[in-house]
Amino acid sequence: MSQLGQVVGILRKLNEEYQISTPKKLKLIDAYLIYVLLTGIIQFAYCLLVGTFPFNSFLSGFISTVGCFILAASLRIQLNKANQSTFNVTPERAFADFVFAHIILHLVVINFIG
Amino acid sequence: MIIFIILPILSWSVVAANLNVANLNGLKAQFQTAIKSFSDIASLHYTLAGIKELGVQLPDSYCDNINKLVDKLNVESIYHATEASKTLVNCKLPVEDYRATLTAVLQSEDSKTAELYFAVRSSVILGITVDESKIEKRLNLLAKTDDSVVSQGYALLTGAQLSQTIAKSYADTINDLVQQADEIDGSILQYEGGIGATALIFNAFYEVAEKAGVPVKIDSKQLIKFATYFSSKRHVATLRSAYYLTKIFKHLSDNKNQVPVVVSRISPSAISPQNPSVLVSVTNILGQPVGEMSVVAESAKRKEDGVVVISKQKLISKASDFSVYELPFYDTKIPRGFYTIHLTLTARNEGKLIGLTDNMVYRDNTAQAKTYKLSYPNGQTDKLELDYHQKLTIKFQIKDKQSDEFVRVQQAFLRFTNKKSNKEIIYLAEPSDGANSQYKVEVDLITNANDFRHQSDTYELVLILGDSLLQTAYEWKLNNNVQLTFHEESLADKNHQKLYLPRPEIIHQFREDEKRPHNVVSLVFSALTALPLLVLLILWLKIGFNLSGLPLGLSPLGFHISHAAVFALMFFYWKCLNMFQTMRYLALVCIPLFLFGHRVLATLAARRAKKV
Repeated sequence: MSQLGQVVGILRKLNEEYQISTPKKLKLIDAYLIYVLLTGIIQFAYCLLVGTFPFNSFLSGFISTVGCFILAASLRIQLNKANQSTFNVTPERAFADFVFAHIILHLVVINFIG
Repeated sequence: MIIFIILPILSWSVVAANLNVANLNGLKAQFQTAIKSFSDIASLHYTLAGIKELGVQLPDSYCDNINKLVDKLNVESIYHATEASKTLVNCKLPVEDYRATLTAVLQSEDSKTAELYFAVRSSVILGITVDESKIEKRLNLLAKTDDSVVSQGYALLTGAQLSQTIAKSYADTINDLVQQADEIDGSILQYEGGIGATALIFNAFYEVAEKAGVPVKIDSKQLIKFATYFSSKRHVATLRSAYYLTKIFKHLSDNKNQVPVVVSRISPSAISPQNPSVLVSVTNILGQPVGEMSVVAESAKRKEDGVVVISKQKLISKASDFSVYELPFYDTKIPRGFYTIHLTLTARNEGKLIGLTDNMVYRDNTAQAKTYKLSYPNGQTDKLELDYHQKLTIKFQIKDKQSDEFVRVQQAFLRFTNKKSNKEIIYLAEPSDGANSQYKVEVDLITNANDFRHQSDTYELVLILGDSLLQTAYEWKLNNNVQLTFHEESLADKNHQKLYLPRPEIIHQFREDEKRPHNVVSLVFSALTALPLLVLLILWLKIGFNLSGLPLGLSPLGFHISHAAVFALMFFYWKCLNMFQTMRYLALVCIPLFLFGHRVLATLAARRAKKV
């Protein structure tokens, strides 16, 4: 029981730290990430329950969520001021890349969804 | 006249025992051919000595041949000459002529073991004294430099020419040399170099042991393996091997040494009412009797299933010299099969007989065939029972009454009719080549069982003969009551009628759709997928969406519209457009998107820079 208590304590501390130190923009993106994740999980659960027909649709939907997640995560990384040394891009550039990549992703997804 | 035979299959197979009696006659013949003409002194030596061993004394006239062929300067030649002269009664050789060569070889540091042996032996025969200690030292030196088995053999032979003590020390090394032999298949021992080398070395054992006055110390099992090797050589190529082989056979039958006993079957391989017993001969390797023995058949086991039919039965002695023993075997109670008979022999007298236990004598019996002779038109009235062990063979000849010669017909069939189902199974009779044209049909109840569909029933057997030259065809009912029993379960007859009726109709089956979930399930899940959107909105609101920061103006508006247009395009792509059209429209929409987007972002960047 003490172990569980320890874990809970750690999580709470983590949460506090997060709330304080993360800027708003990144928090927005984190919310978006959570949304995408939830969607992916629901799709996967459907596939497990009902079966893989039609397989291509399932794949395209799942890959869409995964792709969105990755793009948003990369946007977050690039916008994070702490990473300024590694990524030398302006936030606008990052956002533009994000939009561009999304267009391509959606094109592929819609093609595959059948 | 037509003859009819039935042969049930028998199978009592044979393998002769490993140890055979020596082929003395072959060796004798070899020597006798050689004695007609000599090419060199070595062949003269071996021939004369070999014939002497076999008990024939030769006239002294051969002494001249010896003197003519010898080479006085070659120690090996001298050796052969002296040995050859020893076989004759009165053949004196000029000692002085050879003394020089012999002394040279004896003194020389370079002589090999063989040369040393030749020199020593020749000196001993000629009566020249040798320095024994010196020879012994030389042999010891040579043993270190040349350790081949042949060299060791020659060393033993040389030792046998020296004093008894020296001979004894060499006799003790016999066992070491035996260990250096190569074992083949677990049943034969030989030395590298084949029969020549092996015979020389083996002979050396006996010579040195005899000089030392001790028995040859070889383990009896190893001796048997050597003996097996020697007895397996029915013909040898060289006179040298022949000579040594003869000497070895004599040593192996000498009662003061260990004597291997040869047990072999002398009755014919078939056991039948005409040959009811197994006859076994017990002799030494030369074929001579070895004294009274008690021979007991420990067991006779059938090969296929290990059934033991005879246990501990004593064989009866048939010959006065106790060399032949009999085991009555034929008995209707003993079933047919391959039999292995294990014999144990015990010597009555004291004697060094080895190889007595566990002699396996296999028997081959192909008889016990039941033969029935029939003549046309009489058939056989008795019931004939055949089971799956057996084979039915029918042999017949057709004779032309007028010309008295055997003829062939165009049709010769043997027909089996199943009495219950009237099914017929027909076999073709094949004539043998040659003048006597014997026809033969063989029906093996194991291989041909499938023809009968394994149906064990009563059959009728009929022989059919027909020809365009025969006025009437013959249908000879051979037996009305043949009971065939097959090994396996009977199979049903093939119904040939069914082949010609219409077959069942094949209806085309379209590929069935895959199972899909109920509509409701899909709808529910679609709704569920929309749920996280709500979660997102709530979260965003909680965090604090900076809606107020949205720039207003043409560029942002344009940006948002073109962005929405892209999504609309995606939707249409899904619904009705194809890739090419989509690409074109996308290209169109992308242009304003880029323009407006660039402007909006530039504005935002400027705003940010201003703030900072």
